[in-house]
Amino acid sequence: MRVAAIVPAFNEARNLERLAEALRTRAPGCDVCVVDDGSSDGTARVAASLGLSVLRLPLNLGIGGAVQAGYLWAWERGYDVAVQIDGDGQHDPAFLEALVAPVADGRADVVIGSRFLAEGGFRSTAVRRAGIRYLSWFLRLRCGVRVTDPTSGFRAAGRRAIELFARYYPSDYPEPEAIALARRAGLRVEEVPVRMQERAHGVSSITALRTLYYLVKVSLALVLLPPRNEPLDGA
Amino acid sequence: MHPILPVEIQVLSLAFLLAFTAWVIWLIRSQRLHLRESLAWLLTTLAAIAVIAYPKLLVAGARLLGVEVPANALFGLGLLYLAANVLAATIAISANTARVRRLTQECALLRAEIEALRASVAPRAAGPGVAPPGALPPG
Repeated sequence: MRVAAIVPAFNEARNLERLAEALRTRAPGCDVCVVDDGSSDGTARVAASLGLSVLRLPLNLGIGGAVQAGYLWAWERGYDVAVQIDGDGQHDPAFLEALVAPVADGRADVVIGSRFLAEGGFRSTAVRRAGIRYLSWFLRLRCGVRVTDPTSGFRAAGRRAIELFARYYPSDYPEPEAIALARRAGLRVEEVPVRMQERAHGVSSITALRTLYYLVKVSLALVLLPPRNEPLDGA
Repeated sequence: MHPILPVEIQVLSLAFLLAFTAWVIWLIRSQRLHLRESLAWLLTTLAAIAVIAYPKLLVAGARLLGVEVPANALFGLGLLYLAANVLAATIAISANTARVRRLTQECALLRAEIEALRASVAPRAAGPGVAPPGALPPG
């Protein structure tokens, strides 16, 4: 079972060394691909000096385009599982194995790491938790999928999900929508508990003011899902 | 009979629309505007010229739409003209955004491929960043 860790990184040069070290000790055997989303702080250089594979996007595409580049990379190289893990230190590589397990067992195609199923850890602010609860409810209403942490960017994708996401991945604030698309394509979505940490350096890209825009945008995207995904043909 | 459009307005509008058409054609000929994207502008502008040159068309159109005052129909059609063209432009932008995204990803994938190849051909010369082209061994 070949596992790729996709690390979308925008100006995360300072956080990468810690992550690379954690991945080496806590999740050995997985190949790491850092997707530098047009950073200006030498993220790509630092990642390469740490011996990690790097995809250097010449333009800033935003999280959706960056993550999709990682899925294209994993698809072309024939990885069985691709795990998305943020470059900012929020996600603990120790949980990588738990994320991969349901895919490896053939029980799921997409596995979401949920901070609400685990004890302790960083759980975000009350306002955002309310927003997450709303999105979780909306996803269940729209697609009948039960996910407690739909905004979590810590997730694993099996071969079929890698193909789907390489072909189509939503652009800004893509996490909940990607779950809906996977569900639409007939993929099995599961959740496992993970503990998250507060980011080590820098600020979250989602400020308080953007939360409302986030909710409106994601709700609209969920309402306006394409009627049907093109059938996957293994291309 | 009271004219539907005063002659001054007719002349001014026609001059404006013809100048606009000439501008669009010039942009196409100097290859700054693609014919495909500008077709909507040309066709709708020709329709506007027809309506201004033969105001009776406007009256007939207004009657067809059930609008009592032809001037109101003119406003409505004008808005429709703008909305249709702006939507066509937005569709073109969306298509281009998707293309740029895909090309950007392809660039990154190819760059990674090239750097891996360079490292395998000249492992000593290829640093973590970009190896100089001269680092490739001859032959």
